[in-house]
Amino acid sequence: MTVNIYKHEFKMLSNSVITWSLALSMIIFLVMSIFSGFAESAKMLNEALTNFPKELLMAFGLDKIDLSSVLGFYSLAFLFCQVCLAIQAANYGFSLVSVEERDMTADFLLAKPVSRTKILTSKFLAALTGLTITNLVVWISSFAFIQLYRDGRPYDPKTLLLLLGTILAFQLFFLTVGLLVSLIVRRVRSVTPYSMALAFGMYVLSAFGGMLGEDKLDIITPFKHFEPNYIISNATYDPLQLVSVAVIILSIAGSYVLYLRRDIHSVV
Amino acid sequence: MNIFFRELKANFRSLLIWGGIAVLFVFIGMSKFSAYEGNPELLAILDSLPPAMLAAFQMGAFNLTTITGFLGVMFNYFAIILSVAAVLWGTDIITKEERDKTVEFSLTMPVSRGKLITAKILAAVVNCVGLTVITWVALMLSSRSYQPDAKYYAFLNLIFVALFLIQLIFLAAGIFLGCAMKQHKRASSVAVSILLVTFFISIIAGLKEDSDFLEYFSPFMYFSAAELLQKSTINLAYVWLSVGIIAVLIAGAYVTYSRRDLYI
Repeated sequence: MTVNIYKHEFKMLSNSVITWSLALSMIIFLVMSIFSGFAESAKMLNEALTNFPKELLMAFGLDKIDLSSVLGFYSLAFLFCQVCLAIQAANYGFSLVSVEERDMTADFLLAKPVSRTKILTSKFLAALTGLTITNLVVWISSFAFIQLYRDGRPYDPKTLLLLLGTILAFQLFFLTVGLLVSLIVRRVRSVTPYSMALAFGMYVLSAFGGMLGEDKLDIITPFKHFEPNYIISNATYDPLQLVSVAVIILSIAGSYVLYLRRDIHSVV
Repeated sequence: MNIFFRELKANFRSLLIWGGIAVLFVFIGMSKFSAYEGNPELLAILDSLPPAMLAAFQMGAFNLTTITGFLGVMFNYFAIILSVAAVLWGTDIITKEERDKTVEFSLTMPVSRGKLITAKILAAVVNCVGLTVITWVALMLSSRSYQPDAKYYAFLNLIFVALFLIQLIFLAAGIFLGCAMKQHKRASSVAVSILLVTFFISIIAGLKEDSDFLEYFSPFMYFSAAELLQKSTINLAYVWLSVGIIAVLIAGAYVTYSRRDLYI
């Protein structure tokens, strides 16, 4: 790792990290602030939910959860957070090294007396630091807003910890897969289409699979590996998470191999 | 005219990729449906519910054992996929000139900025039409083996009118942001966050019963599949609202782009 590159990369990311962190904390705040009004009329709520077609509830993962419980309601906020975290991590992953080639700064960077391995490691760690800060903000705002809005209703902090503990692996999945894909394709013109396709695609796959009660698709999408409802109702992790971990390891290894051998065009 | 064809060509690959994704989802969905069609367990559950309840809760629209009900459920997913594509096309077609540093070149051509935008908007609309048609054809072809009735086709056509309107709203939003945002790099992230916010609103509004006013903020809520099926018409109030939103955004795009200091 090279401290210069790390610092520079982190500085580049800092604005985006702040924006995402604020957005996520807003989401948790907004969702949890509805909660007390919601739980007050728990009975009415359950009636309201039966109003909805079962398939629709299944699609949003609402069929298995009790929205009148603290964590049940929080899982809704958590799902929204997951979508955002996925997009953020995918954004960082796709742009990590591709941005140098797009902005014509790659040959400048590679002319420095640092190995490619060091460059990639510093950049990767900088992105990871950014993601971890966002992660911490999610932790803090989850505990704070749950405490603020639960109105004395009980919840199990251990399950919440379990849930929040999945975020890092979840982020790493999108970060590393994004990085790998950006190195496989010839040129990344614009990051957003890629990251949206990866993050939203995975989300839609998970919702789609949920609606249809299909297990095969569960293997592909991390939204299923880290499904909040499963963790809340079973208070353990889904063994499918190992798939995510394997993908992360393979993607990191693949990225190093590809980046070390990548043919990077010079500006002129 | 040249710009229009140039843009069509440049976006053709992207259209193919999004079309491929849409077709993939159609086929995944349809292959799943084959397991549901006439499924006795599901039918038994539906039969056990009192008919008054079914009617009140619009379950008829989401009867997964019929192809029509199945389409009603799929509608939400197509809305998401198509609008993501539209909003990204919208911002990209405007901001890519600045990103790829070609905006200087295109503005030295003897065309006004207004004409440039017109050509780009038209190309993007053609892309949206293309994507809608691809999805529509894929659905038509894949559902043919289930011998759907005339009502299904009427429903299918209505759904695609609704999908196209939703797409156009997001396309217009994307174009407006691309034109109005000073920092071209921000435009697509703002566009994506608008999409996310409206999507989250649609989920929250679906949860709360008394959230009619929230519905106006999310194009995903304008056209509900259940309503489309039961009334077999599109809610005209929302059609006019959509047209209004699109008109305002496009007008805003022309005004802001013709005055903006472009990044060179």
